[in-house]
Amino acid sequence: MHELSLAMDVCRITEDQVGRASLGLVREVGVEVGDRSGVEFGTFEFCLESLLSAPPFVNARPQIERTPGDELRVTYVEVDDGDSSD
Amino acid sequence: MAIRRIEVREKVMAKNDEIAADVRRRLDASGVPCFNLVSSPGSGKTALLERTLQQLGDELNIAVVTGDVQTENDAERLAVHTDRLVQAVVTNGACHMDARQILVALEQISLEDTDLLIIENVGNLVCPASWDLGETAKIVIFSVTEGEDKPLKYPRMFERSTWAVLSKTDLLPHLPFDPDKALAFAHEVNPELEFFFTSALTGDGMDEWCDFLRQRARAGSGTAV
Repeated sequence: MHELSLAMDVCRITEDQVGRASLGLVREVGVEVGDRSGVEFGTFEFCLESLLSAPPFVNARPQIERTPGDELRVTYVEVDDGDSSD
Repeated sequence: MAIRRIEVREKVMAKNDEIAADVRRRLDASGVPCFNLVSSPGSGKTALLERTLQQLGDELNIAVVTGDVQTENDAERLAVHTDRLVQAVVTNGACHMDARQILVALEQISLEDTDLLIIENVGNLVCPASWDLGETAKIVIFSVTEGEDKPLKYPRMFERSTWAVLSKTDLLPHLPFDPDKALAFAHEVNPELEFFFTSALTGDGMDEWCDFLRQRARAGSGTAV
């Protein structure tokens, strides 16, 4: 439950960055998880995978980096802007 | 396909921390110290608060915010012992309280008429450690019916707490629990942790605990988180 609410906050931050209408274009969300952040890594990863693969997202995936310390933050969002030749 | 990367570096809990800072500002402006009581379920938080309100309720204006997963039972138990508002937060299954819930609860509490605010958090030694509620300090309740190694099993909660209460001490003669070992484990995790020893049933240790709350209420909100 704790990890799910944090994963939902990751989705909120992502939406703040790209706007709700563009959530379907998100391909990857980078998240830094500190070893002492109080987050169970496997559960958090599963929650993120579940949320990012369901609408309004379309096949987005988390890229989680484990770090020392207690940081827990979104580091980047990757968006597919479509065919660059257009 | 053109992939664009947006650099973010935003803390996942930034929103909560921002609201917690607002809560802390409001409490500081009114000089109200706020203690966030955290523990595992069944450690005796509500019993400790009942006894505290019995002893200090006529002397100090103590406001209480209780967090319960599914009922308002704790708030109802406490309301018997005080005329002050006991604000119940039912988390509907959530394993912790967040700063937004405290901010909403504060809107129902007249801080100008309050000497001390106590938050009774959801019984859980894991998740509440991660959430800043804007409190002056966390106080971890640890009962003698639990294992002495609780501080080692849940180090984050003991690290994040400034004080600890070893509760249900009346049961010590009947249990193999070793208080010295428990304190040693706790200090291994947090050498600065200060302990109270209480029995809400017999009242043992309650005078020291109440003296502490009395002093903090008089001193106001300026203690370290």
